[in-house]
Amino acid sequence: MTERTTVADSPAGVAEPATAPAEQAKDTRVDARPKNNRAWWLVLPVVVSVAFTAVIPLMTVVNYSVQDVFSPSERIFVGLEWFRDVARDPEVRGAFVRTLLFSAQVLLIEIPLGVAIAVAMPRRGVSVSVALVLVALPLLIPWNVVGTIWQIFARGDIGLGGWAINNVLGVNFNYTLDSTDAWLTVLAMDVWHWTPLVALLAYAGLRSIPQPYFQAAQIDGASGWATFRHIQLPRLRGVLTIAILLRFMDSFMIYTEPFVVTGGGPGNATSFLSILLSKIAVGQFDLGPAGAFSLLYFLFVQVLCYVFFTVLTRSGR
Amino acid sequence: MLDWMVWTVPTALVFAGLAVLLIAMTIWGRISPPVARRGFLRIETDRGDRLYIGLISAAVVLAGWIAITDLSMWLALGCALLVAVVIGIWG
Repeated sequence: MTERTTVADSPAGVAEPATAPAEQAKDTRVDARPKNNRAWWLVLPVVVSVAFTAVIPLMTVVNYSVQDVFSPSERIFVGLEWFRDVARDPEVRGAFVRTLLFSAQVLLIEIPLGVAIAVAMPRRGVSVSVALVLVALPLLIPWNVVGTIWQIFARGDIGLGGWAINNVLGVNFNYTLDSTDAWLTVLAMDVWHWTPLVALLAYAGLRSIPQPYFQAAQIDGASGWATFRHIQLPRLRGVLTIAILLRFMDSFMIYTEPFVVTGGGPGNATSFLSILLSKIAVGQFDLGPAGAFSLLYFLFVQVLCYVFFTVLTRSGR
Repeated sequence: MLDWMVWTVPTALVFAGLAVLLIAMTIWGRISPPVARRGFLRIETDRGDRLYIGLISAAVVLAGWIAITDLSMWLALGCALLVAVVIGIWG
């Protein structure tokens, strides 16, 4: 490691404090080079814990995905057989399409709705706290409890929501029998549970816009829509990037809520990738196919997140 | 001690290869720091970014291949490596 301290070792710099701008620029360029890399040791705990909790388990998954393992001593190398099986399994493909569709719908509903709620939320006064608490409430509820709430809420016989749809609106609604009803129930539940996250992120983003922007817009006589379109929305880019990534990943990995509400049914109407994966891994204990399945699942999430992130953060430059 | 990880020779070779690749990139980065530039991907990348994109794309080629066709996986590996190299050089 090269160890050189710049200021103390350079009397020239101390003797001549008034350096020309060009020289200063040169100085910062020199300073940007690594001089003492010992601070990297501070990263070591993270490296060790990530290795323990993520990298080593992932390596094990990779090892399982190419073998038929009965016990550590009794195992058969099968090459890419599980990958071929999983990638061509109609059930897996169905679940993949379903999950992708679900994520797309979640993003299309939750992002605009969350931004709309954030714009409508009060900016000052006591009502700010009230609005924040009310909006944040669903986020405080554990996943399985959300599932239980909606499982009862959407029931036609004892649930308020299900009862109202059946008796007030007069629409026949039964999420345990009808696949569209089951899908809509899970979608409504996700919107209820997670739109607040988007709203809070967007609200924080809106609050950070300096007031002069709005004053300038007012002077120019900009309409409410123009202010939103040209001042608020562009300034929300950062938080919306995070919101889209979080909501995509979470909805693409959704497990607990549909598991509690529908258990993947009726039929396989709401059996998303994670529900199918856990059925293969935990239910049937087929660890080889489950390993191959998880790796393909992981690869897809990885690719899509990278593309989202790149498009959202670099397209403006 | 590592029995529970059920290692096989091919997977061990893959991970060793990745480790060597990362170490080599680190040393290369020390010797000549990477420079960000724009290639056919139309985004600013340095060689580390291109390595990551290349490896992920190679994995996508392999996964797509196995899902669609019965042709040899060695051919798929060749295509995947070709994709990674092309992205690494001109991406």
